[in-house]
Amino acid sequence: MVISFLSALLILAGLVFFLGAGVGILRFPDFFSRMHAAGKGDTLSTLLIIAGFALYQMRDLGDSEASVSAVLVALKMLVIIAFLYIASATSTSALAEAGWEDGNDPVIAPKHENRLAGPPESRTAAADLNRNSTHDSQP
Amino acid sequence: MTFEHFSIGVGVALLLLMIPAMCRIVMGPTTMDRIVGANMVGTKTTVLLVIIGVIFGKVDMFIDFALTYALLNFTGAIAAARYLRHKGRRGIVLASTSEESVCERA
Amino acid sequence: MQKLFATIAVIITGAILLNAVEDFPRFGDPHSPPNSGVSGGSVSSSVHYLQNTYLDTRVPNVVTAVLADYRGYDTLFETAVILTAGIAVFAILRVVRRKDEEESTGSEEKACSGEFSTSDSDGEGRHRVVVGTACRVVVPLAQLFGFYIIAHGHPSPGGGFQGGVVLGTSFILLALAGGLGSALGRLREDMYLRLACLGVFIYAGIGLLSLFFRRNFLDYGALSGLLQTGGEEMARSHGIFGVELGVAMTVTSVMFALFANLSTRGELKGGL
Repeated sequence: MVISFLSALLILAGLVFFLGAGVGILRFPDFFSRMHAAGKGDTLSTLLIIAGFALYQMRDLGDSEASVSAVLVALKMLVIIAFLYIASATSTSALAEAGWEDGNDPVIAPKHENRLAGPPESRTAAADLNRNSTHDSQP
Repeated sequence: MTFEHFSIGVGVALLLLMIPAMCRIVMGPTTMDRIVGANMVGTKTTVLLVIIGVIFGKVDMFIDFALTYALLNFTGAIAAARYLRHKGRRGIVLASTSEESVCERA
Repeated sequence: MQKLFATIAVIITGAILLNAVEDFPRFGDPHSPPNSGVSGGSVSSSVHYLQNTYLDTRVPNVVTAVLADYRGYDTLFETAVILTAGIAVFAILRVVRRKDEEESTGSEEKACSGEFSTSDSDGEGRHRVVVGTACRVVVPLAQLFGFYIIAHGHPSPGGGFQGGVVLGTSFILLALAGGLGSALGRLREDMYLRLACLGVFIYAGIGLLSLFFRRNFLDYGALSGLLQTGGEEMARSHGIFGVELGVAMTVTSVMFALFANLSTRGELKGGL
């Protein structure tokens, strides 16, 4: 009973985080903050929900011969958790990098400079700067 | 209320909470936004498969589907990221200019 | 204009397919083939297969037994269709250069952008660090999981097609992580082409083997003497496993061949 209650608590916590991720992916202004909401909220909520179900599988552990397959299923769920823990973070990183190279600029407050892309004048003329630097280096 | 009823409720709630991600897929201004939304839906489909297994009482079967789906979703996200990175604006601009300059020097 | 033609083609195809729906049996029709009995069987062929599959083949998973034993011809030619897809992609996309031609174009590129290529490879290395490190963990587990799915086709859902897809995905992941070259180093082009053909050969070979024992094509029960099994049922079970292995070989190599050829436009160099 206690274990069922605990697993329900974990699953509900996961749903709350998923709600946060959904609101974030809908409401945030630019690609990178949406990516942030999707990557973090999505990963954590998935881990929590599957952990809740894995805990529920272990509820009658002390009973008898049925517990062997239950432990096996719970272990497989732990494998899924471990896999998603690695894979979700990696795909978030790869997608953010691809989005940066795709030309998405973060939305920043006025008066603040976009430090990712360097100072503004060099950023607008990035191609010129690149060419100038190579020209300077040649004898 | 048994745990099965609770699981059905969680599944329906997950489906409803996928709607924002679906909206982002439909209206996302750039391609990357759509891919992020699709990746989110795919991750949640893994959870939905586990929930379906719990509801039908065959978790040991559905857990394999969930793992396979997670693997394919991961591969798809990485492949989309790689593909769009090569088509990207910044990458092409820098590459073409530096190539041009090297060719000039040569 | 092109889109207009495509739309018209899609509409016509959909209309023909919808027209064919008319010929289907009605839902719950007692005279439809699944609900009317097989010859010498029970009242319904579905019930017949559900009751007799384990007795005939000792395979608990009815889907695997029906797929690889009762409908063995169908699956054999499905595998052949997959091999044909791989051959078609190879024939259409693959660019094969003669050696002297290759050398001349390669030297030109090197002369133009020698320094750039090194800087680009540095950039590639920096980009691949995160994905490469994650894939170093994921790829072996994915391959192990693929073999598990192939081997567990008997008691649980799985089998050659699904396990082959997972194995092929692991090779694609390898190509995405470390460049196509590192994946081709593990599974060279001649190797995967041979593996694809070998899969269909194993499937058809097991079928032909039962022909030598004066039985029907793909009747695995004939192999009981050869495999030293107690009865024909266990021989069918082993035959199904052998067939699944062949399917898995073909699916794995064709998956990887499709990715390698499509992502590099047939050059098998560079790519994603």
